[in-house]
Amino acid sequence: MSNTQARPVESERIPLKARKVSFSWEDTPLHWVPGDPFTTHTINVLHLLLPAGERWFVHVYKQVLPLIRDDQLREDVVGFIGQEAMHSQAHDEVLPHLREQGLDPTPYTAQVDWFFEKLLGDRTLPPGRASRWWLLERVALIAAIEHYTAFLGDWVLNAAELDRRGADPTMLDLLRWHGAEEVEHRSVAFDLFEHVDGSYRRRARTWATAFSTLVFLWQRGVRFFLENDPTLTGPKASLKDLYVRGREGTLPATGDMLKSIPRYLSRSYHPSQEGSTAQAVSYLASSPAALAAQKAVS
Amino acid sequence: MPKLRTVALVAGAALLTRRALRRRVQASPLWPLPALDPPLSGRPRSRALRLLLTAHEAVADGVVQLRLEGSGLPRWEPGAHLDLVLPSGLVRQYSLCGDPEDTSSYTVATRLVEDGRGGSREVHEQLAEGMELEVRGPRNRFPLVEAPAYVFVAGGIGITPVLPMLRALPDGTDWRLLYGGRSRASMPFLEEVSKLAGDRLTLVAEDEDGRPDLAALFTAVPEGTAVYCCGPEGLMAAVEAHLPEGATLHLERFTPRANAGGNHAFAVELRRSERTLTVPADSTVLAAVRRELPDTAYSCEQGFCGTCQQRVLEGEIEHRDELLTDAERHESMLICVSRARSDRLVLDM
Repeated sequence: MSNTQARPVESERIPLKARKVSFSWEDTPLHWVPGDPFTTHTINVLHLLLPAGERWFVHVYKQVLPLIRDDQLREDVVGFIGQEAMHSQAHDEVLPHLREQGLDPTPYTAQVDWFFEKLLGDRTLPPGRASRWWLLERVALIAAIEHYTAFLGDWVLNAAELDRRGADPTMLDLLRWHGAEEVEHRSVAFDLFEHVDGSYRRRARTWATAFSTLVFLWQRGVRFFLENDPTLTGPKASLKDLYVRGREGTLPATGDMLKSIPRYLSRSYHPSQEGSTAQAVSYLASSPAALAAQKAVS
Repeated sequence: MPKLRTVALVAGAALLTRRALRRRVQASPLWPLPALDPPLSGRPRSRALRLLLTAHEAVADGVVQLRLEGSGLPRWEPGAHLDLVLPSGLVRQYSLCGDPEDTSSYTVATRLVEDGRGGSREVHEQLAEGMELEVRGPRNRFPLVEAPAYVFVAGGIGITPVLPMLRALPDGTDWRLLYGGRSRASMPFLEEVSKLAGDRLTLVAEDEDGRPDLAALFTAVPEGTAVYCCGPEGLMAAVEAHLPEGATLHLERFTPRANAGGNHAFAVELRRSERTLTVPADSTVLAAVRRELPDTAYSCEQGFCGTCQQRVLEGEIEHRDELLTDAERHESMLICVSRARSDRLVLDM
């Protein structure tokens, strides 16, 4: 009986491959959750953070490959990298569409670009031991962020309320294709962190950094969208909005978000304990974008 | 109760900080992060487009013209070509010959090559109106440069990249055109070309006039003349041989010079690792590199995820991916699918 060791659920493991998807955004309205700009823009923040963020994952992981001493893990990481690269591209393609609708995201994304390319880049610390420490720190940061992408992926796969509200099907497919792949590969980042370092102090420290940074960037993104949306005058984002939408089911419930914190910090945590690979794979088998990708390959 | 006092102090400090920050943020909402210049996210990319084939018609003996429709298509410059992905998976390049400003359709024309590699036969026999085709591009390897005078030499279907150039040249430009072909009936766009060129046109139909007289064409061309030639290998070699001194030559080939069909083997030098290896015709650069450097990053192995992108220091690249932008193509390649046009590539690895 040990609760100090991560306990993976083996049945949740699956070989990973990148799917070449493409979406056409011509018919997606600015407020793709009808009549609910707050929900729309809260989820839209993903398009601001992910292009640069997931590009950064790929950049960091390319440098970690030589440190991996386990063939199966290396294969998982290779699959993970391709999936993340496609996520970054797919969200990036939403940005020109926002611009066409009069909501130019560039002032915000240029900052996110700086954040990931410079602040979290390779030259933040001097070469040598500091630089190696920095690489491991970034690997741990990615594991913490992936805890939340898997949480959100699991949420969006089950967010039936968005369908009931008539949310745009293309956007929902992007979110669910992405969410399903996040659930599918949710263990890779954590396994990699455990493989190359695994220190509990680092896990806790980087969780705190990642969590507060995400909260900071997210609330900033929602406020940025609400202020610059050409069709809106003056609604302000508030925590109450988040709480209310969480209860209604158009955004993750506040309680669920809080409960996910101690889970990541538990010593017996392993991502395979949360979410369902079967559900993710079954969505991918019916996702219009993933199906089109499969057809293009075969 | 020292604990309570600490809590109260921290809470008070937090409140004050929050008020101060709120003021600062209201003054400039995106304070305090700097921005990356130039930004990376949200740049327009040239990506694969799926277009509807709305016209497939013969415009001369053995030549069909295709019209592909879409919306918001990228504009192009005269000389540009399109990569057409045929239903069989073959990818062929065709020069655009419509209106560069038209963002709702692309027009290309292709000649049936009886003993070709199968691409033109597929275009002629398998494609039909109403089909959806994947295209990439447009890209321009044959751009119209500024020059005091121009000489155009087009052989048969080689008129396609030249035609938009003729339309684009401003009135009063000094230019002449030699348009050759096997017979008048086999030469596309003859009527429009005659109207555009008037007496600047030398028309040579081999069945009536025999071989073109290139020496006559090149008499008294001014210094710095740009010579544009697109046509069969023989014609391009002849133009190269007759090229007057002081003129610059621009060639557009129908097929890559080195290998008319399939892959060829080539050498890859990994400059930083000081190694040279051979990529066989039936293997990829990535596979060869991974044998030497097993930790090389890659993922999809199909040219769409971009993980295996590497900087190219020397050599001519044959890009087969559909991801990189034109700017990236100048100095990098996706080693999982792209190959060398030259016999040697030097990678920064």
